[in-house]
Amino acid sequence: MAITSFPFPRRSPVRISFGIGLAVLTLFGLVPAVGVLVVSFTDLRGLPYLPVDWVGVDNYVTFFSPAKWPDSLNALQNTVIFAFASTVVQIVVALAIALLLNRPLRGRNVYRAVVFMPTVLGVTVTGLVWSLMFNVSGGPAKSLFALFGAQSAFFGDPHLALSLVILVQIWMVVGISVIIFLAGLQAVPEELYEAAAIDGATPWKRFRWVTVPMLAPSITANVLLGIVNALQSYQLTFVLTGPNNRSTQVLSLLVYVQGFGGASGTTLSQSQGYAAAVSMVQFVLVAVVSLIALVILRRREAKL
Amino acid sequence: MTTTTRTAVAQTAPTKSRKRLRRMPVGGYVCAAIVLVVFLFPLLYLVNTALKSNAAFVADPVGIVRDPQWGNFITAWNKGDFGAYILNSVLYTAAGSAIGTLITLVLAFPVSRGYVKGARLWSVLFVLVLFLPNALITQFQLLLRLHLYDNRLGYILMVSVGVGIGPLLFSGFVKSIPRELDEAAAMDGVGYWRYLFTFIFPLARPALATIFILQAVWIWNEIVLATVLLADPSKFPVTVGLYAFKGTYSNQWPLLAAATFIVAAPLIVGYVFIQRYLVNGVLGSVKG
Repeated sequence: MAITSFPFPRRSPVRISFGIGLAVLTLFGLVPAVGVLVVSFTDLRGLPYLPVDWVGVDNYVTFFSPAKWPDSLNALQNTVIFAFASTVVQIVVALAIALLLNRPLRGRNVYRAVVFMPTVLGVTVTGLVWSLMFNVSGGPAKSLFALFGAQSAFFGDPHLALSLVILVQIWMVVGISVIIFLAGLQAVPEELYEAAAIDGATPWKRFRWVTVPMLAPSITANVLLGIVNALQSYQLTFVLTGPNNRSTQVLSLLVYVQGFGGASGTTLSQSQGYAAAVSMVQFVLVAVVSLIALVILRRREAKL
Repeated sequence: MTTTTRTAVAQTAPTKSRKRLRRMPVGGYVCAAIVLVVFLFPLLYLVNTALKSNAAFVADPVGIVRDPQWGNFITAWNKGDFGAYILNSVLYTAAGSAIGTLITLVLAFPVSRGYVKGARLWSVLFVLVLFLPNALITQFQLLLRLHLYDNRLGYILMVSVGVGIGPLLFSGFVKSIPRELDEAAAMDGVGYWRYLFTFIFPLARPALATIFILQAVWIWNEIVLATVLLADPSKFPVTVGLYAFKGTYSNQWPLLAAATFIVAAPLIVGYVFIQRYLVNGVLGSVKG
């Protein structure tokens, strides 16, 4: 694209400011991102004075090797389940809340603010609050389970831990989806509902044939945002169950454990080349899944 | 559809809508109340726990506090050294978001105006930034090699480039500022720097504030990057400080709850003041 006629007398200031901004973004943002690909072909370890050798695709072969595959498959499965379940449930819940908060209720700004609040509280506070809620030695969740005569180790239960992390994740980020849906709902013309009501459409039919099609762009945005965020998110899992818990270990946490050791305080002799390869596997997964989702959703949008 | 059915529906419509108006709020308020409980109960339970003595918590974890132990907050504050951690977080968040917002401004304005070559290519870059791979390993290696590992400046620079959707939001906003303003200002002899900071900056304040706040929320809450890039506990942000506190006092929930509340309280208070702005800002940027 050609430069549009530049109104200012000298072009150098725009070049300097743009250059500085780009340099910082490139050095600290893009170089590490591209570097992951490069490092994934080496046997890099923690310290800079250790020799680094080019090992080709060895790290990727290792990822799929019989020795590592159980761990790799476990992390892959957890990542996909986490992303799929949290995206779907989050969108359904967010749509329900958005429909509710779009009604002329008294104090709905307060409800909106409350729903968005966990996003601001962040992973550490959210993680600790929900660790307290799911405390095994006694707490609201344990009391609730006791009502039904059930018991559980919650985050310590391999069958339940991932579901609970998904639940907390949804609690934490659903507010963003609600906002996106509210923005979409406000763009739906009131006349469409009136016309549908005149044609005798039931509330369900109005929802199915007016609201959902009109919300198609918001749904696309939410699905993409949800998938990309969920495939990459690991901070909450890190706080809730630690990086080494097998039943909740997603790919990013595998990267952390392989690259820095599971314990606090970094052990600087880890296989960072291998960890970088795991990052790349995750990146390919994110790229492929979001592309597929984008194509499907766009096709649906076009049909409606 | 015939005219007769239309008028028939039109006649029954008012009563129907009146009935809906009467009925809907009750169900609506019940649902809203459920939503409130789901989102507020965990925090209320946190406060309830924070005010208990350890013995009272062990005896009855879910019971409402009878004898509030306000001292828990003081004990947690002193034992956890939260004053120092919060100061670190304030520094990282303020500096990181300021640099990030500035980067967004100097990059996105000329790109959306076409004042730099290859503007379309740069816009693609703004989208690609959102899809970059997890670079934990190389971020650590880069800072190590630049001698910025375990360094406040290094951490700030690393989080400042996490600009996310900032450039995209800002490019969208710039379109609402007329190009004629650029031309008029230039005609009057205003330089580019001065134009950017004394004209665009105040005009774009709503968009820039949203970008700043979104990034600030992200930096304030960051924990894994801080764990990897900082080693000296005196440089930890409050998230890592709280996580370390949890490691030490994992069996004393009242103290831990008090510490969690100390970290959450400023966020909640700050949020109460900026929520209208933040929610509407995000709402607006999503629409635009």
